[in-house]
Amino acid sequence: MSEPAGAAVFVDRARKSFGRVSALREVSLKVDPSEAVAITGRSGSGKSTLLSLIGGLEQPDEGRVLIDGRAIWTEPRPARARREVVGFIFQRHLLLETLSAQSNVEVPLIGAGIHRRERRRRALALLEEVGLAERAEHLPAELSGGERQRVAVARALANEPRLLLADEPTGALDSSTSERVLDLLFGLRDRLGMTMLVVSYDHAVGARADRTVALIDGKLAASSETALPAS
Amino acid sequence: MLAIIATNLTRSPARTIFTAGGIAVGVATIVALLSFTQGLRNTAAGLVHLGGSGLGVFQANVSDPTASILPEATVTKLAARPYVAQATPLLLIVEGVKSDPSAIVFGADPKGFFTKSLVLVAGSAPSTAQQILVGDHMAAELHLHPGGVLEVKGRPFPIAGIYHSGILYEDSGAVLGLAQAQQLTARVGEETDVVAQLAPGTRASTAGPQIEHDFPGTQVISDPQQALRAGANGTLISKAILVIVVIALIVGAISVANTMAMSIIERQGELALLSTVGWSPTRVSSLIFGEGVAVSTLGAAVGLLVGVIGAGLLVDALGASTYVSPAVTAWGLGRGLLVGVAIGVLGGIYPAWRVTHMTPLKALAGT
Repeated sequence: MSEPAGAAVFVDRARKSFGRVSALREVSLKVDPSEAVAITGRSGSGKSTLLSLIGGLEQPDEGRVLIDGRAIWTEPRPARARREVVGFIFQRHLLLETLSAQSNVEVPLIGAGIHRRERRRRALALLEEVGLAERAEHLPAELSGGERQRVAVARALANEPRLLLADEPTGALDSSTSERVLDLLFGLRDRLGMTMLVVSYDHAVGARADRTVALIDGKLAASSETALPAS
Repeated sequence: MLAIIATNLTRSPARTIFTAGGIAVGVATIVALLSFTQGLRNTAAGLVHLGGSGLGVFQANVSDPTASILPEATVTKLAARPYVAQATPLLLIVEGVKSDPSAIVFGADPKGFFTKSLVLVAGSAPSTAQQILVGDHMAAELHLHPGGVLEVKGRPFPIAGIYHSGILYEDSGAVLGLAQAQQLTARVGEETDVVAQLAPGTRASTAGPQIEHDFPGTQVISDPQQALRAGANGTLISKAILVIVVIALIVGAISVANTMAMSIIERQGELALLSTVGWSPTRVSSLIFGEGVAVSTLGAAVGLLVGVIGAGLLVDALGASTYVSPAVTAWGLGRGLLVGVAIGVLGGIYPAWRVTHMTPLKALAGT
């Protein structure tokens, strides 16, 4: 039986504190393979922390976070496990300023030990996918905000992730550019079938997602916990 | 990976240039000093084979072989040994020529093989004990000629002739009768050393220890390495160079570590991103480590070039160009390069280790 295109996410009573500040308090969340979930909440409600726990960038103080039944943080090689499953997109594109768009897309592939020629081929194909093939040799400083974010999307897809985590991907963009980036993200999800969690204040994200969960002061809102995944 | 390392080094060119420059200065110093000591070693070879001798017998435990004092009777006893074919005494007068302080005036027995080995190229052999012979190198330097006068220890000596021996020490100095030299230096009955030609079939390596055994309180110099080690000054030079190499290594490594540590603090967001997109801690560390090694290799390459040029300048600055020609060897350059790369390796360890202990989320939050 072939592996599903999307990963299943299971968060079980996860707690996370930074010093005295409780960022997450007993959060439980289940996301089905290929589901697109919008995570909303006010600033400081724990949205980004939840995404970091799911992506294996942080370890929960208590509880479990499983991706397809695996706890990334406790894997012998968390970076490798993250690379094999997860793709990240951030509010600020976080492109390496000294590298061209194509080289930026190649960065995760270097981490995966992919041969140079194959890296180039895949990076160009991904830039083609996000409509930036002709800008492959441009540095980030030579691209618009929307273009940079599209390069960041291409980079997130480089290792063919089964779980795409986007932390306010349109937060730094104007409304028309945001619309195009969301078209790209949800279009890719529909076509490639990866699971997608998007943290956003943007109502447009909630409208496109299969469902929306809300975080309030580090806890999931009651309505979110009972919400059923849309088909 | 290499492309990223190269790109990262060019993103802050001033920092890269200053770091590489610091390493270059260290490596250049090492190469120049090593070339200088190799030159000293080559020159010492001349001291060993004065007059075409197989070995020289000096007083043991002196600060410098030229400060050696032996009783005049040593030469007669040494010449009587079966393993010695000929022996002749020498009295070395250093800093005796005011116009060329680095020149050595040799007080030599006019009948000994040392004096006989000199080939006259102008003038004639001394007809009186008051006359002096001048080496062709010194004659050219000081514009001396037969019939002229050379002052030794403030006393004028008529120049009888100009000689050539093929040994730099001799050709850059002058030869006076032994008795005259002893009188001039108030060392009657003494000599600096005895040079000897060995009997056929006798090797210096076997005769040397025998002589030291037969003549307690003496040391035999039969190869350049021994000549360098013989005096406390030579030993001091070797140790000083070792200390300088170690200091250059430590200072260079701290400099690279500091630069790379600053660099990773500034770039922690970028490094966290690499971790986030799946780079293993080892690979991220390798990037930082590679940058350290690359900048130090760059510095070492420049340092090698500057060191080769600097070796000549060092000899001139020390006023030793008469006797020492810096000798740049592949091993000397190799050691300079090794030190440069070692600086990068040592300096890159701490920053690379630190990178592996960064938490991606915290680093990303700081961007």
